[in-house]
Amino acid sequence: MSLAAEAFVSQMAGKIPFIHVGNQVVSELGPIVQFTKAKGHSLSDALDDVQRAEMKAYMELVYNMLLSAEWCDDATAAEISRPRYSSPYSWPLGKILAYQKQWEVRRKMNAIGWGGKTLEQVYEDVNQCCQALSQRLGTQPYFFNKQATELDALVFGHLFTILTTRLTSTELAERVKSYNNLLMFCRRIEQTYFEDKKD
Amino acid sequence: MAAAMELRCWGADWGLPSVHTDSLIVLAYAKFAGAKLTVCPVDWTWKTLTASLPELVCGDSVVQEPTQILNFLRKQRFNADYELTARQGADTMAFIALLEEKLRPALLHTFWVDAENYSNLTRPWFASHSPFPLNFFIPGRLANIALDRILLTKGEGLLHRITGVEGKIYSDAKECLNLISYRLGTANYFFDNSPSSLDAFVFGFLAPLHKADLTSSPLQSHLRQLDNLTRFCDNILAAHFGADKPCPLPPVQETMDANLQKLTQLVNKESNLIEKMDDNLRSSPQHKPHRPDPKPSLSGSKSSLPA
Repeated sequence: MSLAAEAFVSQMAGKIPFIHVGNQVVSELGPIVQFTKAKGHSLSDALDDVQRAEMKAYMELVYNMLLSAEWCDDATAAEISRPRYSSPYSWPLGKILAYQKQWEVRRKMNAIGWGGKTLEQVYEDVNQCCQALSQRLGTQPYFFNKQATELDALVFGHLFTILTTRLTSTELAERVKSYNNLLMFCRRIEQTYFEDKKD
Repeated sequence: MAAAMELRCWGADWGLPSVHTDSLIVLAYAKFAGAKLTVCPVDWTWKTLTASLPELVCGDSVVQEPTQILNFLRKQRFNADYELTARQGADTMAFIALLEEKLRPALLHTFWVDAENYSNLTRPWFASHSPFPLNFFIPGRLANIALDRILLTKGEGLLHRITGVEGKIYSDAKECLNLISYRLGTANYFFDNSPSSLDAFVFGFLAPLHKADLTSSPLQSHLRQLDNLTRFCDNILAAHFGADKPCPLPPVQETMDANLQKLTQLVNKESNLIEKMDDNLRSSPQHKPHRPDPKPSLSGSKSSLPA
């Protein structure tokens, strides 16, 4: 199966990332994972049921925690998250989509009671999340021993963003960096999966 | 010596110390940690309107939200998680996130949005436990809050249609129940042999669903097929909320594995069906439903005449 990823304006706008296969477009991590699973490629087949349960649980934890860090603080959102989110699109579509995403994330955070958090509290939450991930990872190469799973992809995506973007304060990146095994994890994935393409 | 602690919450019914999930979480945790709380049900008082339940009052401080209350209790040296390893603590955080994200929307829908359950069970109960004249609008207010919460967290884009997300939230919730069941296995509690905050959270979420007399609930039927989860709830009720001394049940044999596998396959099939329905819904002409309909409608035709 060959995947052709194209960034083009479609009625699915607002739901990046997406993949375009033949005449189908699938967007957002969850559906993309299901789609590839239906095509016979799945990363978590080798997990037993208990491990799969743990994997899904950790994915929920990461998803909310790190999302709030990227979008809920005004300065971070204005300088980093919105420009980055709008980059594949031309003006003014990119701007509209970025604001829409920010609005959606903030509404959701309000709905689950995280709307009133100060930046300090958000950093503390991210810290706790990283601590949980660090303890789960331990000294293993991936979260579920020797094989990469959806959780590894999700964690890598979020942590890499935090580590590589120059945020208004480096505190968030510093907190992540204080967990050495998470740092090595990101480096390892970057080298294994992404660096060969830079030829 | 700690000051006396008072917990304000919704009252008891259906064989449970409280019918309200968040209140149950706090009550269960207090039992596990050995904290003595004075339980003050706010039924038939004006606190049903003014207080954000559950609410812990200790001296001058007032704490709300289950997570905050549990943190407060831990600071008062009532810690049910003391013996957990760091990894178990991390797992606790992860599973609580899973419950909040995947199970809570479906529970809110079952009790507050599903028309039959709301009119036959939820509204009468809350109306009868609120003082006059609040009984006329408290249930409606809580129902609106529930609907908003579901749509904000699960709704897609600006079109607030509950029918579009119903299938997905129930499928997610069933999968979540399966996952919790796998994780629990044949043990009495989630970690070792003593209850912790994760057990309190799971109990708080599952017990109302298990015990309430719901007229239409595929989610309740799904839960009832997961023997280890229903046994978990009954076990906690008997051991910590019963009048007699606790007697933990011996672990059940692995006959539930076959059931779980069947249920997993069913949930996967449902997910595939829902994907197809989603596509159909998106391509069909949009029309506003008159009232929230528990069954998602497939066809786009506006009028269907009987044959």
